[in-house]
Amino acid sequence: MADHNDPNAVNHIFSDIDYSPADLYDLFGWPTAESKKVVFALTFASAPAAGVLDTDLLYRLLVTSHPRVGWPEAEEISLDSVLRYFDAVKDKYLGELTTAEIRVTVKTPGSVLVKFIGFPCGNFSAEVDANKVVDIPTPDGQSIQAFIGGRDDAFFNDLTGFFRSINYAPQFYHVPHTMTEARELPIPKTLLELEGNDLFNYRPDMPEWGFSQPDGTVPKLDLPPGPWTWSGDKFKKDADGNFRFVYDGRDCRAGQNCNAIILEMPHSFITPATAENRLVNAWGESWVLKAAHKVESIPDDPSWLQHPWKVVREKELDDELRKYKLVDTDGQPFADAALSEREDDRQLGANNFWLGPHFIKRLAHLGWGFGPSISALGLQTSFDHNNSPVSVYKTYDLVATAFPRIAKTLFQKLNMPDSSWNPKGLPIPLRRPFEIFIPNVCAVDMDTNGTWPFGRRLEDQVATRFLAMFLDMDAELNGKPYHVDLLGDQALWDSAPIVPKTPPNPLKNDKEFLDQFPYLAAPWPENW
Amino acid sequence: MAAQTTLRAPQLAGYTEELARAEADIANLQSKLQRRPGDQEMRVRLAYRLFHLASLTGNMEQFEAVEAAVRRDLREFGPKEDLCLLKANLDFRFHRLAEVKRDLEMAPLLAGRFEGRVLLADLDFQEGRYEDARLKLEQLIKENPTWDNIARLAHWKCKLGDVAEANHLYEQAEEDLTAKQMRSYAWLELQRGALAFQHGRYLEARMHYRRAEDAYPGHWHTDEHFAELLAAEGRFEEAEALFHKIIARTPKPELQQALGELYLVTGRPFEAQSWFDSALATYLESVRRGEVHYFHHLADFYADAQLEPPEAVRWARKDIEMRSNFSTQTAMAWALYLNGELAEALEYIGLALSSGVQDARIFSAAAKLFEAAGQSGESYTQAAWRINPKHHNFHMHH
Repeated sequence: MADHNDPNAVNHIFSDIDYSPADLYDLFGWPTAESKKVVFALTFASAPAAGVLDTDLLYRLLVTSHPRVGWPEAEEISLDSVLRYFDAVKDKYLGELTTAEIRVTVKTPGSVLVKFIGFPCGNFSAEVDANKVVDIPTPDGQSIQAFIGGRDDAFFNDLTGFFRSINYAPQFYHVPHTMTEARELPIPKTLLELEGNDLFNYRPDMPEWGFSQPDGTVPKLDLPPGPWTWSGDKFKKDADGNFRFVYDGRDCRAGQNCNAIILEMPHSFITPATAENRLVNAWGESWVLKAAHKVESIPDDPSWLQHPWKVVREKELDDELRKYKLVDTDGQPFADAALSEREDDRQLGANNFWLGPHFIKRLAHLGWGFGPSISALGLQTSFDHNNSPVSVYKTYDLVATAFPRIAKTLFQKLNMPDSSWNPKGLPIPLRRPFEIFIPNVCAVDMDTNGTWPFGRRLEDQVATRFLAMFLDMDAELNGKPYHVDLLGDQALWDSAPIVPKTPPNPLKNDKEFLDQFPYLAAPWPENW
Repeated sequence: MAAQTTLRAPQLAGYTEELARAEADIANLQSKLQRRPGDQEMRVRLAYRLFHLASLTGNMEQFEAVEAAVRRDLREFGPKEDLCLLKANLDFRFHRLAEVKRDLEMAPLLAGRFEGRVLLADLDFQEGRYEDARLKLEQLIKENPTWDNIARLAHWKCKLGDVAEANHLYEQAEEDLTAKQMRSYAWLELQRGALAFQHGRYLEARMHYRRAEDAYPGHWHTDEHFAELLAAEGRFEEAEALFHKIIARTPKPELQQALGELYLVTGRPFEAQSWFDSALATYLESVRRGEVHYFHHLADFYADAQLEPPEAVRWARKDIEMRSNFSTQTAMAWALYLNGELAEALEYIGLALSSGVQDARIFSAAAKLFEAAGQSGESYTQAAWRINPKHHNFHMHH
């Protein structure tokens, strides 16, 4: 008789977490063609290779267009107001809002089926070759440009610097997967190195520590036995009185590729009421085929293939999606990494209103790290840290306790560096962090140029702009109000008591973007 | 643009492809380690990949290589949690339950980790603390309903009588798996097939085994189940051919014993003997190396294949000293009965039955023992027939 049952004999336990094509990287979106069209680019891990797609994957780009309506209580800075906002978002996304969808399934590693579902002109599909720019005609006589395949990864940031700022141990140490408590270590998050923070401070003897190397490895150290805490009381300064920046500004994604779904669509394809519906919201999802359906080999629904214009019933669509498992969602940059702590069960996409209260507590936790760092540099912060001279490690159980600290950060309008974001000079309100991150969508304002947070353009340095939320947007530097690109200004760092004298993240991508579709640069050669 | 496509089942990658990939991964890691021999993360990854390879092939030499790698890494890097966890899994696989506990204690927090608690639940089941095992598994599933823990609970339900619930849980576990986990899916299908087999539902068993083969083609483990089913169905020639084929790929002694038993069933004791000799030699060689995982097979071997009751008792006793559960208790009872030690046999079968196990072969053994003791075994005979009207047919000692 069988006397054992040992699933671990077939389970990988957790030794190897494969590089997964379900890992969504970024969602970019901005208006083009004098605001008559909108581009969305959903990027994801290039597995098995750049330009080669995985046949077990299904990607969705969910799109909705609606008027630009400001939150009526935006001037009332209170916890009640922001919680009512989360409720209103919930009602909107669970109730009234109609979402259309572009669904991409991979037929062969070199061809995909693109389904357009729920758009005003009806449902239709097109089978297209990967890695080619194609025009897809729509039933109402318009045209959509599409490119699905390998590109240079358009994201550029000092990821290692970011991980150092949040004391993320697995980037620097060998941390077994079992040790969930040894990820973000309980040390104050910070932009400036802490005196005596031997766990994360820069080591001159290991300049590549924590940085990905060309062979794919990352130099790491053994995690010393705990406690992994910090008991100092000041930022580190060198003999010249300079702070040490946790960032060095290098592009950790340089030379690396992604696969991407890039679409340029007429706004009038998304909504007939383009004049009223000036916002186009989108978010991406990746789904992996369930094992049971892989065995059944799910033939494509012939209606999609034989009758591309045929309107299919909802049930048929649901039947397809039920064969897949949702793995990842993407809307706003840093919504996952910085605010949702990359937890699998927080992959909610636009429905992240459930995380609203967590978002407040997490932002306050980050504020205690970044706020004092900003003050130490002589800048004004939006975070109330009681004039703390150094970063503090503090977590919150209660939203009500966290909120007063972070209220200004949440409610302040994020100033833009100049007026180029609003080329028509329309009375468009500046965006506030609570509106940007909940719901977790890329919200393209068709009357702007789509720069973050009015969308996300390829050239936007969003990692640095994310940090700018902790700047006090009422303050001024050299007679000019603080703005989202302030921390990317080299002149600021040249005059700051800090080394290295660099903006936290690179100012541009390692490869020039294209000025025409598909906009993202061609992929780097891959030798595998 | 849209086009008509041919609708046909794609050829899924299976055992051969995964084996090749595992070997390539290992070669790649070994090559990198030549340049950086002290890289802890790569060394640990290599140990896990070696474990993965050995699990695929079932090859004992490869398991020994894993063991050597883990011991070396532990010596060099100390009791890192991932190494201790790997060692604990390895020890559990080979019935070294006391070692498993020591492994979990080596890294002070490991026993409290999710993965450590899973192993503790497995230990509870193996050591006969069924309720503790169930409660632990239910709690783990509540915290994180991973497919493997749902499958563990399914196994619990299957053994302790709730077959419908077991099947439902296996289905639930399958639902959690994606196309990237086809080997695990096939394994679950084999469990479902085995569940049907143990209840005499051969058609259903075959359907699940076929799905396992479709999902993950070419695995000898699936063939092993097919061979058993063919023999149980009386399709002896096909079963014999398949056993030969599997043994040629994977010369495991339990398969050699099964082939020998097939020859016995078909009245060819002479042909059986060479396979028994070969199986026994491997079992005993393993014991000489200090291994304990064949004790159970040795007890079965001397009770069923080559009747030597004192030897059956000897090995059953060694097995039960390590893990007392309804399976080892029944083996002990049966060996004692064959050896004429009926009183002690009744004690052990009583222990096995008190677990609440619902198993046709255990009930059948119990009926025989009670009847030998002059008591009525009728209720157990009936229960055995109710559970599996074909329980006297050929079966393997897995």
